[in-house]
Amino acid sequence: MSDARLVLEVHDVHKAYGRHRVLRGVDMELRAGRLAGVVGENGSGKSTLLRILAGRLRPDRGVVKGPGRIGYCPQETVLNPAFTVEQHLELFRVAYGLPGLDRAHELLETLHFADYRRHRIGALSGGTQQKLNLVLALMHDPPLLLLDEPYQGFDWEAYQRFWELAGQLREAGRSCLVVTHIAYDTSRFDDLWRLDAGRLVDDARRDG
Amino acid sequence: MRPTPTSAWTYFSTAARYALLEHSRNRLALVLVLFYLPLWISLGHVVITSAEVRFLLRATDETITAPGNNLSNISGALNAVTLIVGFMMFSVTFTAGRFDHRLAMAGYPRPQLIAGKLVALLLAAVLTSAYATAVVCLYWHPRQPWLLGLALVTGALTYGGFGVMLGATLRGELAGMLLIIMTSIIDTGLQSPIANPVADNDFIRYLPSYGAMQAAVTAGFRDSFPFPYLLLGPLWFLGAVVVAGIAFHRHTRDRRPAFFG
Repeated sequence: MSDARLVLEVHDVHKAYGRHRVLRGVDMELRAGRLAGVVGENGSGKSTLLRILAGRLRPDRGVVKGPGRIGYCPQETVLNPAFTVEQHLELFRVAYGLPGLDRAHELLETLHFADYRRHRIGALSGGTQQKLNLVLALMHDPPLLLLDEPYQGFDWEAYQRFWELAGQLREAGRSCLVVTHIAYDTSRFDDLWRLDAGRLVDDARRDG
Repeated sequence: MRPTPTSAWTYFSTAARYALLEHSRNRLALVLVLFYLPLWISLGHVVITSAEVRFLLRATDETITAPGNNLSNISGALNAVTLIVGFMMFSVTFTAGRFDHRLAMAGYPRPQLIAGKLVALLLAAVLTSAYATAVVCLYWHPRQPWLLGLALVTGALTYGGFGVMLGATLRGELAGMLLIIMTSIIDTGLQSPIANPVADNDFIRYLPSYGAMQAAVTAGFRDSFPFPYLLLGPLWFLGAVVVAGIAFHRHTRDRRPAFFG
C-alpha cells in the first residue's frame, strides 16, 4: 500500500431497508491516486454504499470521512431532456463555480463525443448520454470520484477510453472508486473489494 | 480547476434563462396555449346562451346579472389558464426533478435555482393570461381588461404553484396530472355561473381560484378594484411553493455532515 494520504475512510457503515439489512459493517480506506473497485452481484448493496459515500443517503450507523468536493456519477443517467450537451456543461459550470469549460471540453474529446455538443439529450444514444452523465461528475476535477457503473452502455471503444481517462486521473493524483457488477477486467484496479453479505471483502487476486 | 466566486445574480439569471428554455421545449403546452385556450373561450361564447345569469359578486357585495356567455367566457378563460399553467409547471418540475437535485448537490444555490424557476412561472402566467384576455376581448368588452388579465394571472399563479408542489412531491406523472385536473373541475365547477349561478354557499370562498374568479367577474362588469381578492391567489401560490421548497430541500440535503467523523 502506498504512503499517499487518505482520501476516504469508511468505518462500520450499516444500512437496512426495513428488515432487509443491506450493509452490515462496511470498512474501507482509499488513498490519493488509487483506482479502486467494488464488485458484487445485483442487489448486493453497491449503489447503496456509493450513495452513502456521496451523501445522498444516510447510513443507520457508521462513519465516513472524505473531502468536501467529490464527483458522483449515478448509475442511471440524470440529465435534462430539454437541454443540449453544451447547455448541460454550462449549467454545471455555474453550479461548480468554474471559470471556464476547458476541462469539460477536454473530457468530451477524451470520451470522443465533442461533435455532439449542440445535440439535445433525446437525440443521443444511451452510451453517449452515459458519457455526458460521467463528464458532469468529472468536470470540476474533484479529488475523489464515486462512479456507479460508469461504463454502462459504452461500446468497446468508449470502454477503452474510459480506462484511458481513469489512468489519467490516477496519474494526476485523483482517487476513483468504481462500483460495477462486471467482474472481468478487475486487474485494472489498484484496490479491489467484493461486497458480500453486506461487508467488503478484500479481493484476494490483487495479492496473488 | 478551482471554484471562482459566482455572483448571486449569475446564479439567478442562469437559472431563469434555463427554466424559460425548458418551458419553450414543452411543445404540448405551447399547442394548448395557442389552440385550446381560444377554442375553449370561443366555444363558451358561441354555444352558451346569452340569456342573463345571476352571480353573487362578493367582491362588491351584490348579486349581478350578466349575459351567460360573457360570464362563461370569464370562467372558461380562468379554467384554461389555470389548467395550462398548472400542467406546464407540473410537467417541468416532474421531468427535471432528479436533474435539479443533482444540480443542487453539485453546488447550485437552491434559493437562486428556485427563484429562477418561479420567474419563468410568473412569465408563463402573465403571457398566457394576456393572451386569454385578448381572446375574451375579441367577443365583448370587459369593463376593466387589465384587471381581468391580472385576475387570470393570480389564478394561473395558484395552479402553477400546485403544479410545482405536485411535481416536487409525487412519484407518478399521471397522478399529478389527474390531481390538477380534478382540483380544477371542483374549483371552477362549483363557481361556474352556469352550473351554480348564485353560488352563495360559504364553502365557495375556500376554493383555490375563488379570489381570481371574483376579481375577474368584477373586471368584466364593475368599475371597482377588488384588491384583497387579488391577494388570495398569490397566498395559495405561496403555500404551495413553500411545500415544494421543503420537499426540494429534503431531497437535496447533503447527508454527509450528519455522520462525518
